[in-house]
Amino acid sequence: MRMFVVLSRLAWRYLWRNHRRTIVMLSAIAVGAWAMIFMTALTRGMVDQMIVDGISVIPGHVQIHDPDYLDDPSINNRVAYSDAELAARFEDLDRVAWAARVRVPAVVTSERESRGVTLLGIDPEAERSFSFIDYDAVDGRFLEGPDDNGIVLGAKLADTLETRVGKRVVVMSQDPENEIADRGFRVVGLFHAEMEATEESLAFVGKRTAQKMLRIGDSVTEVAFVGDDYRDVEPLYSKVVERVDDAVQVSRWTEVDTYLGTMMGMMDGFMLIWVIVIFLALSFGLVNTLVMAVFERIREIGLMLALGMKPAMILGQIIIESMMLLSVGLLIGDVLAWATIKPLEGGIDISIVAKGMEMFGASSVLYPNLDVDDVILANVVVLVLGFFASLSPAWRASRYEPVEAITKV
Amino acid sequence: MVYTPMNYRFLFPLLLLVLPAVSAGEDRDATQIVRDAVNHWRGLSSYTVMTMVIHRPDWERAMTMQAWTKGDEQSLVRVIEPKKDRGNGTLTDENSMWTFSPKINRVIKVPSSMMAQSWMGSDFSNKDVARADDIIDQYTHSILSTSVEDGLTVYEIESIPYEDAAVVWGSEVLTIRDDHVVLAHAFFDQDGELVKTLKSLEIADMGGRTIAKRQRMVKTDKPDEWTEIAVNEVEYELDLKDSVFTLSNLRNPRD
Repeated sequence: MRMFVVLSRLAWRYLWRNHRRTIVMLSAIAVGAWAMIFMTALTRGMVDQMIVDGISVIPGHVQIHDPDYLDDPSINNRVAYSDAELAARFEDLDRVAWAARVRVPAVVTSERESRGVTLLGIDPEAERSFSFIDYDAVDGRFLEGPDDNGIVLGAKLADTLETRVGKRVVVMSQDPENEIADRGFRVVGLFHAEMEATEESLAFVGKRTAQKMLRIGDSVTEVAFVGDDYRDVEPLYSKVVERVDDAVQVSRWTEVDTYLGTMMGMMDGFMLIWVIVIFLALSFGLVNTLVMAVFERIREIGLMLALGMKPAMILGQIIIESMMLLSVGLLIGDVLAWATIKPLEGGIDISIVAKGMEMFGASSVLYPNLDVDDVILANVVVLVLGFFASLSPAWRASRYEPVEAITKV
Repeated sequence: MVYTPMNYRFLFPLLLLVLPAVSAGEDRDATQIVRDAVNHWRGLSSYTVMTMVIHRPDWERAMTMQAWTKGDEQSLVRVIEPKKDRGNGTLTDENSMWTFSPKINRVIKVPSSMMAQSWMGSDFSNKDVARADDIIDQYTHSILSTSVEDGLTVYEIESIPYEDAAVVWGSEVLTIRDDHVVLAHAFFDQDGELVKTLKSLEIADMGGRTIAKRQRMVKTDKPDEWTEIAVNEVEYELDLKDSVFTLSNLRNPRD
C-alpha cells in the first residue's frame, strides 16, 4: 500500500515534468471521451424518439391478432372474437386503454393520383386517449364515430393526391372473397404527424363503415392495448394472455414491429462498438505517449533499477501513469459532455436534414438522452483497454538491464 | 266563387301526386337516355374488331383487338395485332377483371390496387374497361340542355356520382344524340375542371346501327397524348355462349 502511494506520487510528478505532452494527451482523451458520450446521447435520443413515434403509430404496447395475421396481414386473417365477446373479455382490464380496429392495405385514388396506404377502420372515441393524432388539431374534423362516412388522410398524402378537405376520394381494397371492395369517401380531415412517412401511409375511416365496405360483418383484424410504459409491457402482456384462448395470438409491440424491437436491442451493441472504435483511435496516441515517456527516461529507469527498485514496480509505475492520464482525461471529457448535452436537452432542430432522417424513421427534432449506463460503459471501456495498451511500454521499461540503461546516451 | 274549400282539399293531394312525378320524370328520362345509349353501344351481345391507337408526342402504336360482350357484365378483349402482343387478353365478369399474357402463360386477376392503372398502356384505366356500366347505376343524371343538330335532338346530361360511389370524378357530362349515339363524354374533377374527354370523331352505320366509329380520349392538360379507338367491324345480337367468357377461353382461344 505504502509502495502504491510512493509509486503514485512518482507517476504524478513524471506526468507533469513534461507538461506539454501530458496536456496534448489529456486533451486527446478528453475530446475522445466527449465524442463517445455526446454521440451516444444523440443516437440514444434519436432511437428513443423513433421508438416512441413508432409505437404511437403502431399503436398498442400489446396487440392481439389472428395467429396467421403477422405473417400474412390479409383481410382473411381476422380476430376470431365478435365485438360483444371482446367487450366481455377485456372490460375489466384496469388502467388499460384498448381498441378494436380494422387494418387493411388499400389504394386511395383521387381524380389525378392514386397511392397505396394502410386503411384503418377505427372507433375514434376508443382510441382518443392513445392515438398519436390530436383529434382537435386535425384540419377539418376527425372522425365522429365508427359509422362516420368520411375519411381522414395525412396532410402529405392529400397533397400528393391533389385533394383536400371536402373532396371525395375512392378507396379500393379486397374483401375476403378476393373481390374488389371499393367505395367513395369524402375527405373530412387532414392529420399532421411527426413524420411525413406516417402522413403518407395512413388513412382513417370509421370502423363500421370499413367493415361494411369490406363485407366482414363486425369482425376486426387487430385489438390494441395500451398500458403505462412501453419499456415494460410484460404485466400487460400476461394480463391479456390470461383473457384469451388459442384462437388468437397475443404479441408485444417488439414482435409486431420487429424493426423497432430490434432497434432497441441493437442500440446497446452499437454503443459498445462505437466506444471501442473511438478508443482504438485514442489508443495509438496513448501508447505513443507512454513509449516516448519510457524512451526519454531510460537512464532514470536504469538508475532506479540499479538503486534496487524491482522491475515489477517500474511496470506498476508506468501503468499508474497511464491510468492517471486516462482518468483525468476521462473526467474532463465527462464534464465537457455533460456541459454540452445539458443545454441541448430541449431538443436540437435538425429540420435541414429532416428528409434524410425520415428515411430511417427519425423525426426532425433531436432530444439528446444522457444515459448514466452509457457514460459508465464509455469510461470503463477506456480504462480497461487503456490498461492493456499501456502494458507493452511498461513491460519494456521494466526489462531494461540497469548497467546498459545507465550508460545509454 | 268557383273553388270551394272542398275543391282545394280535393286538389291538394292530387298536386302532391303530380308534382314529384313531373320532376322525377325528367330525371328518369335522363337516366333512360344514358341507359339507352349504353345498351345501344353494346347491344345484348356484340362482337367487335377495333383498332386502338395510343399516341404520345414521341411515339405512337396501334393494336387491333377483337372484343365480345354479353349483357352488362361480361366482356372479353383479345389482341390480334401486332404480332408480339397477339393473344394478350382481358376478361371482365361483374366487377372482376383478369388478364392473360401468352408470353408468361399466366392468367392474372387484376387486384383492386391496379384498377386505377392504365389498360394496355392506353389512356383508359382498367376500371374504365371493367366497370363501364357504373355510369347507369352509380350516378344521378339530369339534363343540362337540349339542342338540335342535323335534325336530331342532342341532350347534354350531367351525371353526378353518388356520395359513396367508387368514382373519383366530380361530375361527368355526356352528350347524347337522339339516336343513342354518345357524341362526347367529359370527365370533370371535383372543382369543376375538365380532366379528360372522350369524343366521337366519326359516326357511321355499322352492324345495322348508327354508332361512333372513331372515338378519342384526350387529357385536357396533355392535348398531344391521346388514345383513339376505331371500330372496324361490328355485329350485334349474336348468340354468344357463356363459355366465351371463361378463364379457359381467355387462356386458350377456341374460335
